[in-house]
Amino acid sequence: MSLRDQAHPNPHRLEHVNGTTPQMVGRYPDYDVLTQVDHWDALTRRVVLDRVERVPPIRFFTPDEAQTLKAFCDIATAQDEEPRIPILSYIDEKLEGGVGDGWQYDDLPADGEVWRMVARALDEEAGGRYADASEDVRVEIVHRFSKAELQGGVWGELNVERAWGVVMRYVVQAFYSHPWAWNEIGFGGPAYPRGYSAFGSPHLGEREPWEGEESVHYDPVRDAKKWRLD
Amino acid sequence: MSALPVDNDSAILLHPHKRGLQNLDRMAQYRDDDVVDLAVVGAGAGGSVIAQRLARRGWKVVVLEKGPFWDPDRDWVSDEKGAGQAGLYWTDNRIISGDDPIELGKNNSGVGVGGSMTHFAGYVPRLHPSDFEVHSRDGVAVDWPISYEELKPSFERVERELPVAGEFWPWGDPHGYPHKPHPVAGAALVAWEGARKQGIEMHMGPVSITNGRFGNRPHCTYRGFCLEGCKVNAKASPLITHIPDAIEHGCEIRPNSFVTRVEIDDATGRAAGVRYIRDGAERRQLASAVAVCGYAIETPRLLLNSVCRRHPNGLGNAADLVGRYVMVQGAPQVAGRFPELLRMYKAPPPEITSEQFYETDERRGFARGFSIQTISPLPIGWAEHVLAEGHWGLSLREYMRDYNHWTVLGILAEFLPLPDNRVTLADEKDAFGVPVARFSYSQCDNDRAIVGYAKNMLEQIWDAAGAMDLLTIDRYAHLVGGARMGFSPDDSVVDSSHRVWGIDNLFVVDGSVMPTQGSANPALTIMALADRWARLV
Repeated sequence: MSLRDQAHPNPHRLEHVNGTTPQMVGRYPDYDVLTQVDHWDALTRRVVLDRVERVPPIRFFTPDEAQTLKAFCDIATAQDEEPRIPILSYIDEKLEGGVGDGWQYDDLPADGEVWRMVARALDEEAGGRYADASEDVRVEIVHRFSKAELQGGVWGELNVERAWGVVMRYVVQAFYSHPWAWNEIGFGGPAYPRGYSAFGSPHLGEREPWEGEESVHYDPVRDAKKWRLD
Repeated sequence: MSALPVDNDSAILLHPHKRGLQNLDRMAQYRDDDVVDLAVVGAGAGGSVIAQRLARRGWKVVVLEKGPFWDPDRDWVSDEKGAGQAGLYWTDNRIISGDDPIELGKNNSGVGVGGSMTHFAGYVPRLHPSDFEVHSRDGVAVDWPISYEELKPSFERVERELPVAGEFWPWGDPHGYPHKPHPVAGAALVAWEGARKQGIEMHMGPVSITNGRFGNRPHCTYRGFCLEGCKVNAKASPLITHIPDAIEHGCEIRPNSFVTRVEIDDATGRAAGVRYIRDGAERRQLASAVAVCGYAIETPRLLLNSVCRRHPNGLGNAADLVGRYVMVQGAPQVAGRFPELLRMYKAPPPEITSEQFYETDERRGFARGFSIQTISPLPIGWAEHVLAEGHWGLSLREYMRDYNHWTVLGILAEFLPLPDNRVTLADEKDAFGVPVARFSYSQCDNDRAIVGYAKNMLEQIWDAAGAMDLLTIDRYAHLVGGARMGFSPDDSVVDSSHRVWGIDNLFVVDGSVMPTQGSANPALTIMALADRWARLV
C-alpha cells in the first residue's frame, strides 16, 4: 500500500489556489487565513506567524534521530511532497524547552525519552535507517506501530500502544497549530479581537464574509473505506 | 445588565478597555514574619473566593499561588497551542497509573492566579439535592455531612457574581439565572434537533459568560477560545470575579510562590504557617490559620509532604484517607457528521445541556447517571478525536479536512468514589526536590455501565438528527475528592466546616473535599463551598 496509489482518484488531489497548505491540497481553495492577520491581536499574530517565518533549529534530537523521526512524522501525516509543515522542528522545540504536557504514564519514560526510543525502534524495525527504507516499508511500519503490533528489541521496552499515543499527540499538535493546516481544513484561526457574528443560527451554513467557501464535499468515512486510506 | 452584587466590586474594579487588573499597584504586601490571619494555598476557585470574603471582613490574608499573575492582554493568545505555551496548565510532572490512567495537564489542571477556571469551558451547573445523600437514596458512595439547602444560598450568591447565563433550569432544585441565555450556534442547533426527536429535553446554559455588560466586563464576542483563556474578560474566572475585590480590601496575592509544606507547631499542634519557594529561595509565611486550596492532586500532595513528628503520615492522614476517593467524571464524546458546514469553532464551546438522566433510574441497570453537553473542539482537539479511532496519514488528513462538517456532544458521567483511586507520593521529585504526585485510577462496573449507556444515547441523538457518520472518543473530565469531608475522623479528612480533623486551624477549601460529584461541572460547587466556609469561620 503506498500513499499515492495511482489506481484511485486520490482526494488528496484538491489543488489549493490562494496561500499555502501542506502539499497544496485543501477543501477551501481560495481561503488563506494569513490574509486575516491584521484582525488578530499583536501577541497572537506573533505566535502564529513565528510558526511560518521562524522555524526553530533542531536542538533536542541528534541528526540521526531527527532524520528518522522527520521521515516518521511525514508518513504519519501523509506529507509526501513540498510544501511540508516542519512538524519535527516544533516537536524538538517543545522537548528542548523541557515543559511537558503535565503527566507521565508509570510504564513509560519521560516524553523526550519516548521519542528517542521510538527513533531507535523505527530504525531497528527497518533493518537499517528508517528514512532510507522504501515508502512501502515506512508506511507498513507506521501501520503496525499504530496497531501496537510491533515487538522485540526497543519495542519490548515500551508500552507500544501508549508510546503511539504520546508521539501522535505531539504530531497533531504541531501540525494542526500551523496556519497552513488551517487553510487546508477551513479553520477560522485566531479570533481576537474580532470575534464572530455569523455562526449558523438560524441559518445553517452561513459564514463570515472572509471565511472560505468549500469547493467539494466528501464524506471521510466513505472515502477512507472506499479508497482504503487506513 | 443585571444588578451587580453589593458585596463584590470586582466587575467595576476592572478597566473597561484593558483586561489586566487595575489595582495591583495598591495591593497590600505582608512580610514573611507578619503573622497574617489566613494563609491561603492556591488562587483558584476555592482560594480566591475565601480570600475575597475574608479580606472584606478585615482579615489579613495572603494567597500563595504557584503560578504567575496573569494579564490576559499581555500573556494570553487566541490560539489553541499557544494557551499551553503561555503556561495555563499544570505541566510539572505527575505520574499516572491504574487500569484507566487519567491524563492531566490542559484537561483538568491550572496554574496561576485564577486557577483552572481561567481556561475552563464555562459550564456552571449546580449539584442536585440528591447529590448530598447518594448513600441514603441509592445505596452507593456516601452522604455529605451538609445538605443542598445549606449550600443553596451560596450557589445563588456565586451565580450572581460570575454572572451565570442560562434558561430557567428545570432539573434538580429548579431555578433561574441572572443573565438570559446566549444565542445557540448552528453546531449545537443540530444536536438540539436530534435530542428533541429522541424526547430528550435540553436547555441553553448554564455558562458563566456575560450576556450583556456586567460592570466593566463586556459582552462575549463568541470567538470560541474559552479553553485558551478569555482575552475578552467575558468568561468568569476568579482572576476577574473575586481577586480584584480581594486586593481592594487588603488581601495580598503572592504569585510564583510554591508552597512545599504546612508547618505544624510541635508544642501546640496548630498550624503555624507555610513554607514556600519564591525566586529559588525557601521562605516561611507565618499565619494564624491556613487554608489549603490546591485541588484534588496538589492538596493531597501537600498534606502528604507535610510530615512532622505529630503527623508522621502527613496532615489529616491518621486514618490513611488523604489522597483517597479522588474522582473524575467519565466524559466520552461522540461527534456527528452533517452535510452542512457547521464550523463548530465559533461561539463558546458550552451551549446546551440536558440533566434528564442525572438521577438514578433502576431500569437502566446502574446507580446515578450523567448529563449531556455540547463541546466544540478546535483543530488540535478534533485531531485527537480522529486519532482515537485509529486514523493517521491520509485518513487523518481527510477527516481533518472535513472538520467544518462535524459537531460534538459529550457526557459527564458520575463516577463513584473508590478508595484505591488515589494520590500518593511518587519516587520522582520536581525541580524543587519535592516528591511529585502519583495518581492511580481504575473504573468500577457502575462507572463503565453509565458510560456505555450514555454513549449509546448520544449515538441515538445523532441518528435522529440525521448524522451521516459518527466518531467516538473515550476521555475524562474534572477532578474532585482526595481530602473528603465527612462525619468523623474515621471516614474523612475534614469535618463539615472544612477543618482538618485534629488540627484546629488548618482547613481544606477546594474541590478535594467533595465526597461525591454528581454529573455537574465542579467549578460552581467549589466556589459555593468556599462562600459557605467563609461565612462559617
